[in-house]
Amino acid sequence: MTAKDVVTRIQQKLADAGIAWRAQTVDTFKAGRPETPVRGIATTGMSTLDTLRRASAAGRNFVITHEPTFYNHQDQTTALAQDTTYQAKLRFIEDHGLVIWRFHDHAHLLRPDPLVAGSARVLGLTPYASASERNVYVVPETTLRALAADVARRTGGKQIRVCGDPDMKVTRIALGPGYGVPPLTQAVDVSIGGEAPESGGQAEYALDAQALGRARGVILLGHMMSEDWGMREVAEWLRGVITDVPIEWIAAGEPFGPPRA
Amino acid sequence: MGATPSRRDFLWTAASTLAVASAPRITAAPPELTAAELTARVREKVGVAWRTPSVDGFKAGSPEALVSGIATTVVATIDVLRRAAAAGHNLVITQEPTFYTAGEDGGTAANDPVYAAKRTLVDERHLVIWRFSDHWNARRPNESVAALANALGWSAYRESDSDGLYRIPEIRLDALLQHVRTRLRVRGGLRWLGVPDMPVRTVVLSPGTTDLPSTVSRLPHADAIIAGEPREWEAVPYVLDTRPRKALLSLGRVVSLEPAAAACATWLRSFTPEVPVEALAAGDPYWSPLA
Repeated sequence: MTAKDVVTRIQQKLADAGIAWRAQTVDTFKAGRPETPVRGIATTGMSTLDTLRRASAAGRNFVITHEPTFYNHQDQTTALAQDTTYQAKLRFIEDHGLVIWRFHDHAHLLRPDPLVAGSARVLGLTPYASASERNVYVVPETTLRALAADVARRTGGKQIRVCGDPDMKVTRIALGPGYGVPPLTQAVDVSIGGEAPESGGQAEYALDAQALGRARGVILLGHMMSEDWGMREVAEWLRGVITDVPIEWIAAGEPFGPPRA
Repeated sequence: MGATPSRRDFLWTAASTLAVASAPRITAAPPELTAAELTARVREKVGVAWRTPSVDGFKAGSPEALVSGIATTVVATIDVLRRAAAAGHNLVITQEPTFYTAGEDGGTAANDPVYAAKRTLVDERHLVIWRFSDHWNARRPNESVAALANALGWSAYRESDSDGLYRIPEIRLDALLQHVRTRLRVRGGLRWLGVPDMPVRTVVLSPGTTDLPSTVSRLPHADAIIAGEPREWEAVPYVLDTRPRKALLSLGRVVSLEPAAAACATWLRSFTPEVPVEALAAGDPYWSPLA
């Protein structure tokens, strides 16, 4: 079975679920030959050089990544052609016979969205899902301080950022994936997501709400501490699609802090 | 103003006592400057052709209001607006949007009491908000880079023919992190990656938006990049993948631009002698659950 065959089966499985393949999508091959026979599949939040090393060492030569490989959403490489970081990564991929394919747009179309489901599962929020509101979780009353500490413990995230009064009461949480931090409105106490633009983002709103005594909070996990877990859900989903080769989630992990040992 | 009358108060009092009713208006009257007049002066002095379209311009309040004082800030939060009003600075010059979107329309909060309360605060305190971002950032050399370097004590270390590259006395990454935390009064917003004991001699300063092209072009010349707001699928993994390893410090947009808001106040003061000018720090919005 080639990498191209795997993608065809994924497309068929999506079509069975009523998800048509989009003409305009970033879900394409990014490096390596699609005709390469697949020995094993690794799913990951991001195909960083470190993730690729671990995938290769584990014999997973087909890497399915949620985020880009070459540092921009479209994985355009023309401007990087002379860059040594890009060249070294491409050489590593070629030398180790890896194939990289992105699964982003269509992964978010699955229901439930595995990127949100994975985040909810690691945060322990799954049992508290609102019956009527998508991506909202209603938890037993806690404080922003306690919630943030719990989030940091469960994810292992070392550089999580929080905005809002630490002592504010929290029961209603909106959860979004990656760059999709849910809007912070009066309908929820806290919004949790990956990363957000600081200008025109939720932090200013949270600060203003706090100044007015209408406590609102934001927890920014970081992009990988938000979406990496979802690719574990995707690995599980893939096992229902592909049974011929081993499938493993290889966490990209927290990019911030010292390098992984 | 304190309880002791200023020299100007004394002259005014004396003058009005002496002048009784007959004299014409005192020629030494303090000039009255509207927000429109003051910002026209800024446009004249900035040294950059005014652009259309631009995000710069009045966002709230009346351009015809007389300016009693100017507050500069990175972002005009409610806390900043209250402090400006309390200090008597009715013209707030901000780098970032005030009402949560570039269009200043409140976005998802448009029908929300927080947005409404912020509008009411501006109206009730007769504040005028003017955004000054595109043109301030277009000045060369870049004001926010120079201001950040100054805040870090590195002004003397600038490489002559480069944009944002500084050759500093060698420092370990962990010590550099401590230096940055202290100098920039970071709370929880600073994130970093790199080897804690790696030596750092060359640093790229990239406040505000830290995009991929400028990172790719400058990182080869540096051991570390001090960023404002890098995207986590762009500059962050690019630095992570680079060998030999480099360091990235991500300050957050507000913290990275705070020194530039102070520099802007100093610059404004040089040509607005009629009114007081003060920089009001918005502060690091974030705290860390691990601190």
